[in-house]
Amino acid sequence: MAAAVACRQKGIEDILLIERGAYLGGILNQCIHDGFGLEKFHASLTGPEYAQRYIEQVIEKDIPFLLNSTVLNLTPQKEVIVINDKGLHHYKAKTIILAMGCRERTRGAIGIPGARPSGIYTAGVAQELINLKNYMIGKKVVILGSGDIGLIMARRLILEGAEVLMVAEKLPYSSGLPRNINQCLYDFDIPLLLSHTAVDIKGNGRLSGVTIAQLGKRGGVIPGTKRRIACDTLLLSVGLIPENELSRQAGIILDPVTGGPQVDERGQTSIPGIFACGNVLQVHDIVDNVSLEAEYIVEGVVEYLEGRLTKEREIKVELGEGLRYVVPQRLISRKDTIFSFRVNQPGQHKVLLFEEGRRLIKKKSLRRVNPAEMVRVKLSSLELEGIKRLKVRLV
Amino acid sequence: MHREFICIVCPNSCHISVEYEGTNIKDIKGDQCPKGRDYVKNEITNPLRVFTGSVLVENGDFPLVSVKTSSPIPKQYLKKVGEITRQMKVEAPVELGQIVARNLLNKKIDLIATRKIKKINKKNSLLS
Amino acid sequence: MKTTNNQFDVVIIGGGVVGCAIARELSRYNISIAVLEKEDDVGWGTSCRNSGVVHAGFNNKPGTLMAKFCVEGNRSFAELCRQLDVPYKKIGKLVVARKKEEIKGLKDLKAQGNKNQVKGLEIIDSTEIKRLEPNLAGIAALYSPETAITSPYLLTIALAENALNNGASFFLNTEVKNITKLNNSYFKITTNQGEFTSSYIINSAGLYADYIARVVGIRRYCLYPCRGEYHILDKNVSWLINHLVYPVPQAGAGGLGVHLTPTIDGNILIGPSNEYIRRKDNFSTTSQIMKMLSKEVREFLPLISPGYIIRSYSGLRAKQAPSSEGGFWDFVIEESDTIDNFINLIGIESPGLTAAQPIAQRVVEIINKKERLSPNPDFNPYRKGILRFEEQDEETKKNLIKQDPDYGEIVCRCEKVTKKEILEAINNPLGARSLISIKYRTRAMMGRCQGGYCLTRIIEILREHFDLNPEEITLKGDNSYLLTGYRSDEVSKPCKKKKSLSLEEELPVWQQQLPAGKKG
Repeated sequence: MAAAVACRQKGIEDILLIERGAYLGGILNQCIHDGFGLEKFHASLTGPEYAQRYIEQVIEKDIPFLLNSTVLNLTPQKEVIVINDKGLHHYKAKTIILAMGCRERTRGAIGIPGARPSGIYTAGVAQELINLKNYMIGKKVVILGSGDIGLIMARRLILEGAEVLMVAEKLPYSSGLPRNINQCLYDFDIPLLLSHTAVDIKGNGRLSGVTIAQLGKRGGVIPGTKRRIACDTLLLSVGLIPENELSRQAGIILDPVTGGPQVDERGQTSIPGIFACGNVLQVHDIVDNVSLEAEYIVEGVVEYLEGRLTKEREIKVELGEGLRYVVPQRLISRKDTIFSFRVNQPGQHKVLLFEEGRRLIKKKSLRRVNPAEMVRVKLSSLELEGIKRLKVRLV
Repeated sequence: MHREFICIVCPNSCHISVEYEGTNIKDIKGDQCPKGRDYVKNEITNPLRVFTGSVLVENGDFPLVSVKTSSPIPKQYLKKVGEITRQMKVEAPVELGQIVARNLLNKKIDLIATRKIKKINKKNSLLS
Repeated sequence: MKTTNNQFDVVIIGGGVVGCAIARELSRYNISIAVLEKEDDVGWGTSCRNSGVVHAGFNNKPGTLMAKFCVEGNRSFAELCRQLDVPYKKIGKLVVARKKEEIKGLKDLKAQGNKNQVKGLEIIDSTEIKRLEPNLAGIAALYSPETAITSPYLLTIALAENALNNGASFFLNTEVKNITKLNNSYFKITTNQGEFTSSYIINSAGLYADYIARVVGIRRYCLYPCRGEYHILDKNVSWLINHLVYPVPQAGAGGLGVHLTPTIDGNILIGPSNEYIRRKDNFSTTSQIMKMLSKEVREFLPLISPGYIIRSYSGLRAKQAPSSEGGFWDFVIEESDTIDNFINLIGIESPGLTAAQPIAQRVVEIINKKERLSPNPDFNPYRKGILRFEEQDEETKKNLIKQDPDYGEIVCRCEKVTKKEILEAINNPLGARSLISIKYRTRAMMGRCQGGYCLTRIIEILREHFDLNPEEITLKGDNSYLLTGYRSDEVSKPCKKKKSLSLEEELPVWQQQLPAGKKG
C-alpha cells in the first residue's frame, strides 16, 4: 500500500494493487500490539491502526485493488496471471513492485529432532489463530527463538491466560528488540535462556514435552544440561524468510543472505522494471522502515517509467568484515542512496566505513550494534560522485 | 535490590543498572542522557504500559475487534484487563477509536477499538 | 459407528497399502469385506512413510516371493496407477559405485536382476553417469530403466476408495483387541468399536502382524521395528537429480542404503537410515541420524546443503530378521496351518509397496482355492482422484473457476492447492477428517512453509463444513488436537458461570457503561 500510495502521489495514474488475503494490510492486521508508526506517524499505533492509515489513503486516492486474488505466475516480461473466484486474469504492466512480505522459518527448516505431535506452531500462525480467529492454541507454552514475534506472542499468551514457561534462544544474544524483551518477557517474569535450544520433542498425539539443552561456544550441546520441560505447546520464532517464490519463477536473481532479490539503489531487481521493497527485499524489524523503503524505491519506478533510470557505470557494493549483508547490492547511478545493513554480532563503539579502495568516503560511528536492529545510512550523490568501487565494513 | 534495564527511549539501547529499595532509587549507572534516567525512574516507581488485546464481536466481518487502553495503565493491571477482554462481547459495527468499555476495574481504564468492524448478517456464524 | 453384529465373509486387519490392495482384489468377487484400521485414515503406518519407489526387483534374492512379486508388481504398476488415477513416473534408477571395490557389487546386482528377469539393466561408466546426472559423483553405475516412483499414500487411499466403491467396508479408528473362533467356524473379533464376525481373517497388520497372530495363539512370528529417517528437500532444488540415486548395498544390510529419491510431487528425499529400535510407535527423528543423512548424501551430491531441507520424518520397517542377523527375510503370505481361514502376511517390508497387488492376488488365490469365489459383476476397477488445479492448462483452469468459484481460491500457496481440492479432500469417501488426511490427499501444508499460510484457513473450512468445535480438529486423530478452545471464555464456556475473579464485583462496571447499543 505504501508503494501504491507513493506511486499515485508521484502522478502515476494506472496502478493495480493485488492482495491474496481477504483484506488489505496483510500481517499488520494480526499485530494488534502497539509500537508501530513512531517514525512515520510520530505516534505509537497498533498494527491494524497503522494499516488503516494506508487503507484510507488507498481509498481516498482511488487506487484499484483486488482482494482474495493470488498471483500464479510472474514473467520477466512483466506479465502476471492472477486467479480469484471471478476467474483467471492476465495483466501486463510497465513496472512491477514486489511487496509480498515474508514467511516464517519452520521446524523442518531448523531441524529439531524428535516426534511430530500437534501443538507446534510458528509464532505468526499462533498470532493469527489467537488475534484474528479467537482460538486458543494451548495452556503451557515453551517458546523457541527470541525473534520479535516470539516475544510479542509470549506476552499475548500470558494476557490470554496461558502459561509461558520460557523463551529459549540458540544464540548468546537475543534476536529481538530490547523494547520487546523488556515489555514482553521481563514484565511477566518469563525467563529468557540464551545459548539454549530444543534437542528433542515428545508426544504421540499432542505435544507432551520439549527437551532443552544449553549450547557451548561452538554450538554443540553441553553434556549434562539437557532437561525435559513438560508443556503442550511449542512456539517457534526462529526467523523470517522473504517470500520470493514468484521472483524465483520470473528468474530474478536472489541474494542468498537476505533471501530477497539483489537490487540496485532504486530497489530494481535483476529484471529491469521489476522492483522490490519491504520484507520481500529484506526482513525489517520496524514497519516504519518498510513504508519508507517503499516510498524510496518509487522514485526509481517513476524514473524507469519516464525512461530516466539510466545506467551509469554499474558497480557492486562489496561487503567487508563485521557485516552480514548490505542492500542495495549494486549501484547503477551515483544518486542519494540509503544503504541497509545487518551486523554479524552485537558490539559497542563500532565504526561503519564506506571506502573506495583506500579512500574513505564516509564514516559513521555506531555506539551500539545488534543483529536484531537494521542499520540504515544515507550517502549523498556528492559523496558517491565518480566512485568506481565501493566497499563497506564495520570495525 | 539491583536491576538491569535496557533503555527503550531511543535506539542507543543503553544498559542501565539501578540500585533501589522499594520505589526509592539509590544509584543509577550506565545512562547516557536524562531521558534514560527518567525512563528507569518510572520503571521502578510506576511502570506504565498500553494494554492491547481483542474483544469478541457479534455480527462483524471479523470475529474479533482489536483494542487498546486509551492511555498507559499501571503494569500490574495488564493481566486483569486481559481477563476482562476475554469475557466481553460487543456488537458490530465498531469504528476505529470507538470506546468499547469504560472505567475498567474502577481505575478509569477505557478500551478503544483499534480497527474498524463492519456489520454483516452471518447466518451460520462459527461462533454462535 | 456400527457396534453390533458386524458380519463379514472376510475381515482384513490393517488398512495399509497391502490391506487396501487385498480389499480391492477381493471386491472383484461377490463377498462381504471389512477392513479394520486402528488409525484415523488408511496408510498411516509404513505405507505413507517410505520412499515411494516402484522397485524393479534386482535387489531381491532369486526364488523368493520378494523377487517374484516385486518384478510382477513393477510390470503391472503403471496400469494399476492408470486405473486408480494415481501419479506414476518411470524415471529409472542408478546404483552408483564411488570406489573401484564397489563395481563388483554392481555386477552382482545386475546378475541377480537378470535372474529375476528384470528388464533393461545396464552397467554404465562415469561419462554416461555425467550425462544422466550432471551433478552426481560416481565411477560406474547400474542403470535400471524400469524403476519408477509413485505416491504411496495416494495409492493406498485410491485402493481403499476403489474397494469401498466396489462394496468393501472400512472401519477407521478400530483397533483389534481380541479374536476367538466360535464353534470352530466363525471368528469373533473384538475391537474398541464393538464386535465383528467373519469366516476369514487376513492379518495385514504390518508392524503389528506378529501381535495379531499371537492373539489367536500363533507364536512363531516376531517383527522388529527398524527405523528409517528421511529429509525432504525443497522443490526449488528438484533439478539436482533426475533419477533415483542409490549407493551400492552393503552385504547383510537391512535397507538399501541412504539414497536420493525424487518424489512424484517434485521434492527430493534423502534417506532412509537403518536402525533397529524398541518401540513400534516411535517415529521420532534423531539429531545424530539427521546429521548423518546430510553428510552421507553429500558424498554423492556435493551441491546439497542443509538449507534445502524443509522437513524430516521417519518410518518403520517390519523386520523379521533380528538386529543381530540383519538382511532381508522373505515375505510370509500363507494360511495358518493351525487355524483354518486365518491368513498371515508377515514381514511385508520393502518392496511391499511395489508388490502390494501381487501379494493381494496371492491372498485371493488362497481363498479362491477353498471357496470358488463368484465374480462381482459390478466391479469397476476405475477410480477418480481429486483433480489438481495446478496441473491443468490455462483454458481448463479458466473453465474450472467458471464452473466452481472455489477453484479460484488458492488455500495452500506453496503447493497451489485450491479451496475446491480441500473441500473434496475433507469430503473423502472414507470419512477421514484430520489435517494429515487433507495433507496427503491434496498436498496442502506439504510445502516449504509447512502450513504456515494455510493452516488457519483449512481449520476454518473444516469447521464450516462439519460444525466442529475448535477442540475437535486434530492433526492426526486421537489426542492430536490443535486448539484448546476459544480464546474468549464466554463463547467457549457458555453454560459455566464466569470464573470467580478477584474482579467479580467490579465486572458490572464495564457492562453498565458500555456505549448505548453495545451489549456486554
